[in-house]
Amino acid sequence: MRYDSITEAIGNTPLVRIDPDVHGLRNIDLYAKLELLNPFGSVKDRAAWNMARPHLTEAVEHGSQVVELSSGNTAKALAVIAGMHGLGFKSVTNRMRVPEIKDLLLLLGAQIEELPGQSECLDPTATDDPLTLFHRNLSASGSAYLHTDQYFNPRNTEAHLTGTGPEIVKDLDGRAPDWFVACVGTAGSSTGVARFLRETDPDVRVLGLVAAKSDFIPGIRTIDEVQEVGLFDPDTYDTMESVSADDAIEGMLALNRRCGILAGPTGGAAYFGAVRHLRQLDAESAERQVAVFIVCDRVESYLSYVRKRRPDLLGRPPRKNSPADLSDAEIRTAPAIGVGDAQAWIATDRPLLVDLRSPYAYAALHIDGSVNIVDELFAELVQGGLPFSRRQPVLLACPVGEQSARYAALLTRMGHPDVRSLAGGIIAWRDAGAPLVRD
Amino acid sequence: MGGEPLYLEPRLGPRLRSLLESAELLHMLTDALGSPLNLVVPDQIAENLERFRSVYREHHLSGQIFYAHKANRSSALLRRLAATDAGVDVASLGELQHALGAGFTPDRITATGPKNPEFLWLAARTGVTVSVDSASELDQLAALVRAHKLSPVRVLLRLSGFETSGVKVLSRPSRFGTPVGELNLLLKAVERHAGAVDLAGVAYHLDTTSVAEKATALEGCLEALEVCRSRGLRPRAVDIGGGFGVNYLAHGEQWERYTTELTAAVLGRRPSLARGGHGYGLRAESGTVRGSLGLYPAHRPVAGARYLDELLSQPAASLGGRPLAALLLEHLHDLYTEPGRALLDQCGITVAKVLEVRSPDTGAELLVRLALKADDVALEEHGVLMDPVVIPGNGTGPRTKTGGEPVGVHLFGSLCLETDMITRRTVFLPRRPAPGDLMAFANTAGYAMDFHATRAQLQPVAHKAAVWQDGDTWRWCLDDQYWPITPPGEPH
Ligand SMILES: Cc1ncc(COP(=O)(O)O)c(C=O)c1O
Repeated sequence: MRYDSITEAIGNTPLVRIDPDVHGLRNIDLYAKLELLNPFGSVKDRAAWNMARPHLTEAVEHGSQVVELSSGNTAKALAVIAGMHGLGFKSVTNRMRVPEIKDLLLLLGAQIEELPGQSECLDPTATDDPLTLFHRNLSASGSAYLHTDQYFNPRNTEAHLTGTGPEIVKDLDGRAPDWFVACVGTAGSSTGVARFLRETDPDVRVLGLVAAKSDFIPGIRTIDEVQEVGLFDPDTYDTMESVSADDAIEGMLALNRRCGILAGPTGGAAYFGAVRHLRQLDAESAERQVAVFIVCDRVESYLSYVRKRRPDLLGRPPRKNSPADLSDAEIRTAPAIGVGDAQAWIATDRPLLVDLRSPYAYAALHIDGSVNIVDELFAELVQGGLPFSRRQPVLLACPVGEQSARYAALLTRMGHPDVRSLAGGIIAWRDAGAPLVRD
Repeated sequence: MGGEPLYLEPRLGPRLRSLLESAELLHMLTDALGSPLNLVVPDQIAENLERFRSVYREHHLSGQIFYAHKANRSSALLRRLAATDAGVDVASLGELQHALGAGFTPDRITATGPKNPEFLWLAARTGVTVSVDSASELDQLAALVRAHKLSPVRVLLRLSGFETSGVKVLSRPSRFGTPVGELNLLLKAVERHAGAVDLAGVAYHLDTTSVAEKATALEGCLEALEVCRSRGLRPRAVDIGGGFGVNYLAHGEQWERYTTELTAAVLGRRPSLARGGHGYGLRAESGTVRGSLGLYPAHRPVAGARYLDELLSQPAASLGGRPLAALLLEHLHDLYTEPGRALLDQCGITVAKVLEVRSPDTGAELLVRLALKADDVALEEHGVLMDPVVIPGNGTGPRTKTGGEPVGVHLFGSLCLETDMITRRTVFLPRRPAPGDLMAFANTAGYAMDFHATRAQLQPVAHKAAVWQDGDTWRWCLDDQYWPITPPGEPH
């Protein structure tokens, strides 16, 4: 495979059969359409390229900025495409809730504008929502924009009508699947594919999946939010069902760990929703059937999303010398010293004074002569053993004396004979009128 | 009626639940004091304060919780708070006088908002902390202090226009505060007025439900305090304003179902849920919903003290990713908050008599006329959708869902104006109300009870009474008669 441009690598993604041992369906062959293997990482590469391509020459002439309301994958693809053509890209959104994606977009040169949250003190007579204002600004300003308008642009749907749909049929030897399952975001992929499949075989049944209303699955809309999408037509779907964030992550894990498909949460949601829906049919009918679902994008961008919802999945083996292993009694009886005594001790025995706060706080104000080792760093340091000599007395300080008590207990347990925690911390030190400096 | 009834049952804590079950008391009070009637529950506000305090404690933070007085003009609530360790945030001369009269000492008061000279003078005279909106306000304050030979006044600099690094957050323009980009000018003014003003800290108040925007502002304040310190100033406090929100509804599913049906109604897929097809900010454009829902997110699992906790737990990206609470603590800053609505959660109800129940011959919803003006219970004005609780006239407690058919009603008021609708929407009730019943609107203490009340058309403004539990019975007095020593059991 030899290409002149990366955009030629968009499309022609594999259709991979899911092992029946994983999904457990006896009569249904389940296939995953691996849109995650598009060059910019998602199903949106097709739509972004198809929407932008016809306008690029003109945009380059005018030096237009590409703009889109996107929280993720479309923005990613457009940022790359814009960059390849020497154009700027701006994403306006109120849904960018996954920090890695935000950082990745910035890395790709995107400019991001987030819409403000809802007002606490509503003005019910206000008619201008932020999106209306955005559209008005686009049309009013004299500068040139290439607004791809993914929620309303028919070329979004078309990319799948002429690409994704035909590829599925080709890989199924010219037949449409009995079932097609897709998550609904802009509705572009589900609508385009469904339309092509129905042209091939009007009996195809289409399952549209949305996020449960109180949940958040990046890239998918809730049942209400799809109503704001111009490309969404309820008649496209034989059934709409919702999937929770937990379900999506469960499905994602199955694809990641058992199928070797590094899908993100929407792929997981599609898999989970497909199996949940097909299980009953599978039990009721002995006829051989084929179902296809779409895997939109990759898992790597969603680690913080997973960390927030399922921290257990990212658990690490327990560490040695961790303050977490200490008992309450050990912490309570850790050697401590009050502000007055500490001042005297510092004057006579010159203990090493360790301030466990962040460098910013330390730089602002600290006890004269102290060294700053942030607690997180300190925790790593002690994993390898005592970081200073047993003959060197140590005074630990933190804001209120809580963390320093933990570490004093830990160091004591590790065999240090003379470590103490500053009771009441730097706050007590300040409140006692003892001096703090910034150097 | 067009499908299943769509209830939006209010969330009731133990106090409000017990109060609403006291039908006899409610009838007696409305008979005696008239309809509408506002009841406030002072003990609840002390309990709410304690919830906020416990969040401070969990994060080891010190600093004051200032009740935003503007949310309710009750004396009872204010005096009950005066008996705790709370502070009060006043936004007018009248509120300042009220707070001083309720027993708040000046060290527990901050003055915010637009200030006229009298307000500024009394604040400076009594020595309350002034949250300064602009350099010119600072000049004005300093001039007053010098002209009248007053002691230096503690000031907070109210900032706005915080920006994130990397990602620009578009924000609703605020009329209040000085853009953080002009901090240097403001600090020059502080230095120029040394001796007249004393910099206590920086402040912001953002009108948004978004935790992320507030976290950005708080981070910006931490940086601003560093700028102050680098110039040799020693401010200690960050005042993060209010806006912690209230959860009004008992059931999240009811709210989700309602808003889904509202979207369907706007698209014409079900009968309208409000008079005139009102869509609360949503509209249909060729089969697609446009606009944004102009409703308070009435079911909010994270509100009040929990919202504060969530905000304080946000990582500060530009300061090494540590949680904001840890940074406040490590930098030895005091945290000030100004909850209004959130401190008044479950602190009051508004009761009105049903005067008339009319069945229009069109077969549409019942029209229910209440002895109440829309301004007296401004739930809709604040975008809060919540069902009233019907208390039957026979004194047997609130009607339950059993017995009687559900009905859809429109509630309208006692003003001779088409616009005097208590609710634009169809309100579903478990059964048909009757004249002589009471309708109680729960949880109206925060902004919904007297914020908009007027004497239009010479109709009475609601009386207000304070109620408290004495063992199994509820006791009451007029709001103005309540002092924290009034309830029995308190030392006289
Ligand atoms: C300066 C200030 N502080 C506090 C509040 C109280 O906000 P809330 O009642 O939402 O807590 C307001 C309300 O607008 C305000 O303007």
